[in-house]
Amino acid sequence: MLRDITFGQYFQGNSKVHRLDPRTKLLLLILIIVFIFLTQNMISFLIATVFTACAVIISKVPLRLYLKNLKAILPIIIFTAIINVFYGNEGKVLFSIFRLTVNTGGVYRAVFMALRILLLIVLSSVLTYTTTPNDLTDAIEILLSPLKFIGLKNAVHTLAMMMTIALRFIPTLVEETEKIMNAQKARGADLENGKLTERIKALVPILIPLLISAVRRAYELAEAMECRCYNGGEGRQRMKKLQFTLLDVIAGFVSFLFCGLIILFNVVI
Amino acid sequence: MSKILEVKGLTHTYGGNTPFVNDAVKNVSFDIENGEIIGIIGHTGSGKSTLVQHLNGLLKPTDGNILLEGKDIWDEPKKIREVRSKVGLVFQYPEYQLFEETVYKDIAFGPKNMGLDGDEIDKRVKEIIGLVGIKEEYLERSPFDLSGGEKRRVAIAGVMAMRPKIIVFDEPVAGLDPRGRNDIVKIIKDYRDTYNATVLIISHNMEDMALLADKLVVMNKGNLEMFDTTENVFSNAGKLKSIGLNVPMITEVFFELKKMGLKVPDNILTVESAVDYLLSLKKGGVLNA
Ligand SMILES: Nc1ncnc2c1ncn2[C@@H]1O[C@H](COP(=O)(O)OP(=O)(O)O)[C@@H](O)[C@H]1O
Ligand SMILES: [Mg+2]
Repeated sequence: MLRDITFGQYFQGNSKVHRLDPRTKLLLLILIIVFIFLTQNMISFLIATVFTACAVIISKVPLRLYLKNLKAILPIIIFTAIINVFYGNEGKVLFSIFRLTVNTGGVYRAVFMALRILLLIVLSSVLTYTTTPNDLTDAIEILLSPLKFIGLKNAVHTLAMMMTIALRFIPTLVEETEKIMNAQKARGADLENGKLTERIKALVPILIPLLISAVRRAYELAEAMECRCYNGGEGRQRMKKLQFTLLDVIAGFVSFLFCGLIILFNVVI
Repeated sequence: MSKILEVKGLTHTYGGNTPFVNDAVKNVSFDIENGEIIGIIGHTGSGKSTLVQHLNGLLKPTDGNILLEGKDIWDEPKKIREVRSKVGLVFQYPEYQLFEETVYKDIAFGPKNMGLDGDEIDKRVKEIIGLVGIKEEYLERSPFDLSGGEKRRVAIAGVMAMRPKIIVFDEPVAGLDPRGRNDIVKIIKDYRDTYNATVLIISHNMEDMALLADKLVVMNKGNLEMFDTTENVFSNAGKLKSIGLNVPMITEVFFELKKMGLKVPDNILTVESAVDYLLSLKKGGVLNA
């Protein structure tokens, strides 16, 4: 069902990862992802894996939720791996089909690439499972705030507000889509069968009411916000101030340590 | 009379394999005779909408069966669209489903999906706008230019044009003014009389229910609390109140009169029947005004 699409897939909890400041989580995620792509051999890759495993365990989010995300992305991983298998010409030639040869270097690269994407997905999931969408947009707003100094004064706040609203309305729109689909099915609309062109045509009775209702909602929301004197980011204060704690310092320290190890083993071996 | 629709041990669970399991309908059974008007009442979240979405196969029972004219609608899943043309379902706020450029095309959407030919579709559209009270010159207008009440009538016409034998309304008068409400009630009655159809209506308006329904289905937290004639259900005011529902205002008045020690019947459901009763008392010389 449509409802199964998880977005803003926050998983309620109170683990140490949940309690980290969203800014810390976001920055460290970016840092670690960069280092995952810098790993050059199995040992340094193993270190990155250990780091990821620790993050997953400490987050106390059920493992099956991570697997669910991986399952969704599996086609992309496989596709990337296949491309990589044929790329490069180091190592022994294993076999060739048509004009393409597969050699040990390619297989090595493919496996490596697949594993990197895997880690990347799992780590991003740690962030989205342990951070509410609102915290996340707040963090993005703060981290982008230096843009204010290059003349984009209002843009940062507006962008963050747009993201917050979009996230807030995704479940509403999903529900609405379901309702409209059911209503048109009740009038005999056939959404499951037929040729591709027919199926695309069958979307019209769903998309038009959906669009109209989204526009209607947007107007209503804008009016409601204006009634409460919203006029942009100027002078607005946060209800919940983000606060760095000792936990953030420790998390940062541990992450830097792992990054250091990755570099060390890249160089040593 | 014959049974046209049977609900047998219907259970529906949302979110089967997620942490958010929710039994929205629990082991509900009742039969509907051809030509009856059935009212469905119950608190918000009691499972009314979930129940009716099973009747035309939009939802599949987690457990139990729906028999249409004695045949399980899920016997042949391929033919579920046929079931949907026999059991029409008008959703809450149906005007939000309008999408075509003209009123005519929107009403014709259902019949077209049934595979009817152009002449038949034309005939049905013209006939049904008469029934719902939409003027013929509106047919070429955009449905989005109509008033709220007109939009709703066009949307209802879109389902009625399929001429379902059973038609189900999910809160058809929600958000309408008294005049708009009366219009819809009349349309529903007219449709039943013209096409000899069976009608199910979900509503929170007990006055409308008293006027329209032969029998009432009372839902409470997913369970079928009562299924009986409207008279019998409403004369059981105590039980209805205990699950947070009301009886029609006039029934309530007679309920209170009875509490005060007056010997009055407890099957007065409409103002008309109350007037008749009082007049009969006057004639009999009991009341000396
Ligand atoms: N699509 C859905 N997915 C999950 N739960 C639902 C869905 N639709 C309704 N529910 C839940 O099922 C219960 C019954 O809802 P519903 O049938 O809409 O009640 P009613 O129409 O009587 O207000 C409610 O608890 C509601 O939250
Ligand atoms: Mg409902």
